[in-house]
Amino acid sequence: MALSKEDFNKLAVLSRLRFSDEEAEKFRNEMDDIIAFADTINNAVSGGTDDIKNTSIDAVGFRELREDEVRESLPNEKILSNVEGHKGFFNVRRCVG
Amino acid sequence: MNYELVCGIETHIELATKTKIFCGCTTEFGGAPNTHCCPVCTGQPGSLPILNRKVVEYAVRAGLAVNCTINNNSHMDRKNYVYPDLPKAYQISQFDEPVCENGYIELDSGKRIGITRIHIEEDAGKLVHENGTTYIDYNRGGVPLIEIVSEPDISSPEEAREYAEKLQLIMRYVGISDCKMQEGSMRCDVNLSLRPVGTKEFGTRTETKNINSLSNIVKAMNREIERQEDILESGGKIVQATMRYDANTDEIYPMRTKENSDDYRYFPDPDILRFYIEPEFVEKTKSSLPELPSAKLRRYIDEFKLPETTARDIYKYRRVSEFLDKAVAMGASVKNTANMIIGGIYKTLETEEDKENFAIKTSAEQLSELIRLIDEKKINKNKGQEALAKMLDTGKAVSEFIKAEDTQGMSDDELRAICEAAVSANPDAVSNIRAGKGKAINVIFGYIMRETRGKADMGKVNKIINELIG
Repeated sequence: MALSKEDFNKLAVLSRLRFSDEEAEKFRNEMDDIIAFADTINNAVSGGTDDIKNTSIDAVGFRELREDEVRESLPNEKILSNVEGHKGFFNVRRCVG
Repeated sequence: MNYELVCGIETHIELATKTKIFCGCTTEFGGAPNTHCCPVCTGQPGSLPILNRKVVEYAVRAGLAVNCTINNNSHMDRKNYVYPDLPKAYQISQFDEPVCENGYIELDSGKRIGITRIHIEEDAGKLVHENGTTYIDYNRGGVPLIEIVSEPDISSPEEAREYAEKLQLIMRYVGISDCKMQEGSMRCDVNLSLRPVGTKEFGTRTETKNINSLSNIVKAMNREIERQEDILESGGKIVQATMRYDANTDEIYPMRTKENSDDYRYFPDPDILRFYIEPEFVEKTKSSLPELPSAKLRRYIDEFKLPETTARDIYKYRRVSEFLDKAVAMGASVKNTANMIIGGIYKTLETEEDKENFAIKTSAEQLSELIRLIDEKKINKNKGQEALAKMLDTGKAVSEFIKAEDTQGMSDDELRAICEAAVSANPDAVSNIRAGKGKAINVIFGYIMRETRGKADMGKVNKIINELIG
C-alpha cells in the first residue's frame, strides 16, 4: 500500500511539521517502507486485524494492575535537565491552540 | 423560524486516587511546577506506563452508579494530537472498548438522559503563555480522569444544568471525586446544535468549553443558542468549532475550528496490556455502592416526612446527609435534627463549598445527644440552639453547656410560681399587654427564661401567662 501525497500532507499538518518538496518525497518513501514492514505482521496471521487483537497476549487480570501507592517523583532539577535555562518549567515557543 | 435545541454533554472528572493513572507520582494539587513528575508522565522515550487498578475500580463504580453496563474486556488507545500539554503527542485514552457503556441519569421530570459511555484517560499538563514563550507544568499530566459522554438527549439549558448537578452529586456520593467545578476537578463541555422544530436531522454542532460552574452552563448555553439562532436567521451556516465561554463578560467566542474524530488516528496502545474486569468484581462493587442521591431524597420525603425543600437542602451535600442519618440512627428525631442543621449549623457555613466540606467542630453523636434533650422536652429549642452555637464554636461536648440542673424536670407548680413572679415584677409590661401592645409579652418571657435558665416549656408558659393576665 502506497501512502498518497494527500495523506502524507494531512499527517504533516496534524503533526505540525513542514517539509520541502524534496523532504516530503523522501519521508513519504520511508513511511511506505515502515507500513510495508507492518504488513508483514498482518500476513503472518490468518484472518486479518481482528485476529491479531484477539490472539495477542492474554489480557492482564484486574488484580495484576498497579497498586495505588505513591512513589517518589524525580527531582525537579533532573526532570528539567534537558531544558535550557528553565525557570521550573518546560518551555516551548509560544503556542496557543 | 422556531428552532429546537439538541444537546449532549461531555464531563471530565478527576478521580480521587493517590497516584497518577500510569505512574506512582502523586496527584496532590498545588505542588511547585513539575515536582510531581517522572519519566512516564513526561513521556520520556523508553518509559513504560502501568495502569493504576484504582482508576479502573473507580470507573466501574461511576458506571454502576449511573446504570451502565461494564465491559469485562477493555483496553487503552492512543489519541494522537500535537500540542505541548501532552509531551508524547498523544493522549492515552479509550476508543472502542470503554470501561462502561449504555447508562442513564433520570431527571426530576422522569426524563432519562442517556449516557453513551464512560472511559478512563490521562489529564494533560497546564500551559502558561507569557510573551513569546509557553511554559508547561506537567504536574497535572497523567492525573486520572473519567470522561462521561451523554447522548444528545438534552433539550434545554435547564435540563443541562440538572443533568450536570445530578451527575456531580452521584459521583460525590460514590466517593470517586470531589467534583469541584471551580477547581477543575469536574469540567463540562457542552455540544450544542439547533434544528427547525419538527425536523429530525441534526444541525452542525459546536462544543463549548471552559464552563466552571453549574449556573454558567445555563448562561453559556443561552449565549451560544442566541449566536447560532442569529446565524441561521440571517441565512448563514454554523461552522463546527470549539467555543470558549468567558463568564466575566458573559461572551462566547470561537477558540479553534474542530478537528474531526478521524484526525486523532486512534489505535490500541501497544505499551499497555488489555485488561479483564472480572464479573465477580463488578457484582461486589454493585453491592458496595452507598444509597444513591435519588433514593436518599425519596427516603427523606416519604419515610422521614421532611418537607421537600428541607430534604433537598440536606441531601445535596453528601457529608451533611450522612451526618443527619447518623444522628437520627442514634435516636434523635428527624424533624429537630433537620431544623438544627438548617437553622443552626448552616448559619455558620456561608458558602456552598463550606456546606459541601462540612468541616464542623461537633459530631453527629453530640448533636444527637443534644436533640434527644429537646425531643424529651428536658430543654427547649432556644436553649438547644444556644448550646449548639457554643458547641460549634468551641468543639466542646454538650455536657459543657447543659448542666444537670438545666435538664431537671420542673413541676407545673414551680413554673406557675415563676410566671406569677414575672407578672408582679413587670407591672408596666402587664399594662402594656392589656392595652393591646402584644410585643410587651417578651419582657415577661425574658424574665421567665432567665429565671429558669432557658428550660421552661414555652407552650405551658404561654398558657399560664394568658390565665394570669387574662
